[in-house]
Amino acid sequence: MTGKDENGILRSGTRDKVLYVIGEETENLPFVKTAEGFRVIAAGGAGRHIVLEGNAEAEIMALVLPGTGETNLDFNVEMAGAGAVCRLFGIYLCPENERLRINVNLTHSQGQCSSYQSFRGIVGGTARVEFNGRIVVCQDACKTEAYQENQSLLLSDEARVDTSPQLEIYADDVKCSHGAAVGRLDENEQFYMRSRGIPEREAKVLQMISFLSPVLDFLPEGRDRDALAGMVEQTIRNRF
Amino acid sequence: MDNDILLKIEGLEARTEDKEILKGVDLTVRRGEVHVIMGPNGAGKSTLSSVLAGKPQYIVTAGKVTFLGQDLLSMSPEERSWAGIFLSFQYPVEIPGVTITNFIKTAVNSRREARGEAPLSAGAFLKLMKEKMELVQMKQEFARREVNVGFSGGEKKRNEIFQMAMLDPVLSILDETDSGLDVDALRIVAQGVNTLKTPEKAAIVITHYQRLLDYIVPDIVHVLKDGRIVRTAGKELVAQIEEQGYDSIN
Repeated sequence: MTGKDENGILRSGTRDKVLYVIGEETENLPFVKTAEGFRVIAAGGAGRHIVLEGNAEAEIMALVLPGTGETNLDFNVEMAGAGAVCRLFGIYLCPENERLRINVNLTHSQGQCSSYQSFRGIVGGTARVEFNGRIVVCQDACKTEAYQENQSLLLSDEARVDTSPQLEIYADDVKCSHGAAVGRLDENEQFYMRSRGIPEREAKVLQMISFLSPVLDFLPEGRDRDALAGMVEQTIRNRF
Repeated sequence: MDNDILLKIEGLEARTEDKEILKGVDLTVRRGEVHVIMGPNGAGKSTLSSVLAGKPQYIVTAGKVTFLGQDLLSMSPEERSWAGIFLSFQYPVEIPGVTITNFIKTAVNSRREARGEAPLSAGAFLKLMKEKMELVQMKQEFARREVNVGFSGGEKKRNEIFQMAMLDPVLSILDETDSGLDVDALRIVAQGVNTLKTPEKAAIVITHYQRLLDYIVPDIVHVLKDGRIVRTAGKELVAQIEEQGYDSIN
């Protein structure tokens, strides 16, 4: 499916839960076969254009696995009908020499809609990640709620993350916030764990799991979340 | 050799990148003893406990520390833990996304692995955990909570003593475990510490208040000032400090 666009209109009052898994041989991942609550789309980099009509609800999760080379991940989302809700999450795991560009363009053209975005990732080796997150709240989109965060963990001196969140608000009476941060593994946290007899390597794995957990916490508790968390943990253990 | 000696610190000097903090500390801890280290803010009390536990941010510039006959300073923090040292943190760290059960299970089994033992069975582990949680009056639901996330000051310190009980150390170092605790929490923490006391083990309690010492009775009291131990005496020293302050001791 590499390069193919996934476009769609989410009709009034409907719900959709989609998980995009981006990586090598994603079709064979156990989770891709067993997920129950999600439509799982194993895909390469691609653009997605999603329009949400009134009271439509979309939950979109993107998981970028290691070894993807050069990838563009574009999300164009339009909140086109009152009462629509969009939850857009992403986890990216880039331990090697990946070049990942995430572009989110989320437009609130109608009021009384909510959008929540959380993207977190771990970047090591010589990998580079660029995150461009733009939220536009149009003039008529009163009572909009929009939230966006992007946080990255850098594991090496050569790894690089550029993040630029943008917020353009043309309406009154809206609640919007965004935040971005790039950091490293906290040494106090590591010392705390090691002082309890957890070896350095295991302490780092726990820190990475801990860092990504807020994104996974957005998903409803259950088998899908457990399976996804399991896959993320496995990837951290094997590739970082 | 004195077989009762657990820890021997000789001429220990340590610094951070920009500041000299410990300027020659000597201290010997024997089995069965409870030592208290008191001293004004900035004297080096927390540095001493961090250096003993192996915090990488501190640089040891002189001196020697032996624990059970081994060179402690050449060991990693995890190796020190496996050897039987436990540090209760003044400011326990929050670890979102990692449950207490998962955390302490990893800690217990890492040590078992390091000692060539098989991991605890699920049943044995849960039984041990339930017993130790009761000791510090932690509700069972805490087992599923994320480590220290959203905990009150008292809950964090109880979690420290719970972990100490789970790891069953030979030498416990309690760094200002009493700070920020109300009287009830203080009593629970002290009771936990006292229950764990045996003739084979020892504790170093770091504090700058007397009130914890109403519950934990020390055998030996040291005053640390400006990076050195300036006075060592019995528990009567606590009363003198309380009356006359640290200025009276030089």
